[in-house]
Amino acid sequence: MEGVVVLLNCFVSPFGNRVRIALKFKGVAYEEKAENLAAKSPLLLSSNPVHAKVPVLIVDGKPVCESLVILEFIDDGFSAAGAPPLLPADPYARAHARFWASYVDTKLNEAGMRVWRSPKGATAAVEAARKDTVAALKTLEAELGGKPYFGGDALGYVDVALVPFAPWFLTYERFGGFTVAAECPALAAWADRCVRENTCVAESLPEAEHVFQFVCGMRKAFGLD
Amino acid sequence: MEKSSSENAIPPAAAPLKLFGSWASSYTHRVQLALRLKGLEFDYVEEDLGNKSAELLRHNPVHKKVPVLVHGGRALPESDIILQYLDDAWPETRQLLPADAFDRALARFWCHFADDKLGPAVGAVFASTGEDQGAAVRQVHDNLALLEAELRDGAFRGRRFFGGDEVGLLDIVLGCGSYWLAVFEDVTGVRLVDADAFPRFHAWLRDFEALDEVRETIPAVDRLLEYARGLRHMLLGLAGAAAAPSSDAGPTAAAAPAAAAADIAVDI
Repeated sequence: MEGVVVLLNCFVSPFGNRVRIALKFKGVAYEEKAENLAAKSPLLLSSNPVHAKVPVLIVDGKPVCESLVILEFIDDGFSAAGAPPLLPADPYARAHARFWASYVDTKLNEAGMRVWRSPKGATAAVEAARKDTVAALKTLEAELGGKPYFGGDALGYVDVALVPFAPWFLTYERFGGFTVAAECPALAAWADRCVRENTCVAESLPEAEHVFQFVCGMRKAFGLD
Repeated sequence: MEKSSSENAIPPAAAPLKLFGSWASSYTHRVQLALRLKGLEFDYVEEDLGNKSAELLRHNPVHKKVPVLVHGGRALPESDIILQYLDDAWPETRQLLPADAFDRALARFWCHFADDKLGPAVGAVFASTGEDQGAAVRQVHDNLALLEAELRDGAFRGRRFFGGDEVGLLDIVLGCGSYWLAVFEDVTGVRLVDADAFPRFHAWLRDFEALDEVRETIPAVDRLLEYARGLRHMLLGLAGAAAAPSSDAGPTAAAAPAAAAADIAVDI
């Protein structure tokens, strides 16, 4: 695949950062445009008219939307010397990977959002969200099992789908009143391993404290505090 | 999903296929239709969703839902995952996804739209009355307008089906859900697919429903109507109970109708 590659992203977005990781993993040169989600650019609005959300990957002027769709697109369309595919070749293993990536979106993200988005004083809601978030993390940890990565010996599709949520753990912890290290030590270790052993991950993720500050700013803006 | 006991042991394409489903689940219909389009034989197990079998729960421990396709002992849950698996495991059969990377991304994007936006909006129409229903109907129309625009002069312009000359993944996903539109129109008395407002969508749906494999898959309309009438009656009964003054009942009871309505369109 040829052409100029542009990524519309917001630095804290776990969905956008999936794409960052995948592009770096594949060695694809790209330009990133930072979006202010409170004042979306005309390019974002015209590239993703249906949802007006990041990330959007624009290749030679043609937009691709939704992070997991983009990951598959990158796998389908880009191959670089020395960069293996993100998805495995075996059909069942591919289905397995897609299942767990989807799980991150429907279970972990959904619960995690409720942890930090609940208005101040909504203790019951936060407690329920904490339970659901921890349950999702434990399920993911069980799926990881004793493997170094979800993909086996090396970073794969599920790792790329999940690791951008690691900088959000601190935010979940502070609002939810728990620690990932205590509840899911193997998962915490996996997150560290991803960063330590993969430059594409280390270069793509924001600082956890910056995510927390961003969320605090959002809460103020939405009157949740 | 179950942990695979051996990553490298691929079940032969000839290994038996067994589909666990529910007769009124559009997600089950997607898989049945895809199997028929590919000419793949399968056994079918009807699940009682009020009393799920131990076998189903063993095959889908995480979500406990239908459909689940078991191939040579390996379980595949979630209809969109199953459909892509069918393409991957049987590359010699007609492919549901197009070959081009951009076209694949578009098909996947609009499948998510069908599941995340259109489906729930239709469910909301079905579960509500009065002003709430009016708002839900506008949502459905907005969503259909987006699809109509893509058929008129967007990604799918000039095509008979979203997949081109033949049906593909997006046709299956949209189609196995769209037959509910006519059923809901009948039961609620609300117009959802106006042939004048959405001529291309209307024409596409008519062509889709005329296909032999689709007619083999979609249940008889009188069964669907009976099911929908019963469901609507129950949903409005629940909503009525929620409207009765009670300090505790509020949000939970109101959420129940919407959740129950969502069950029609989701893996149940």
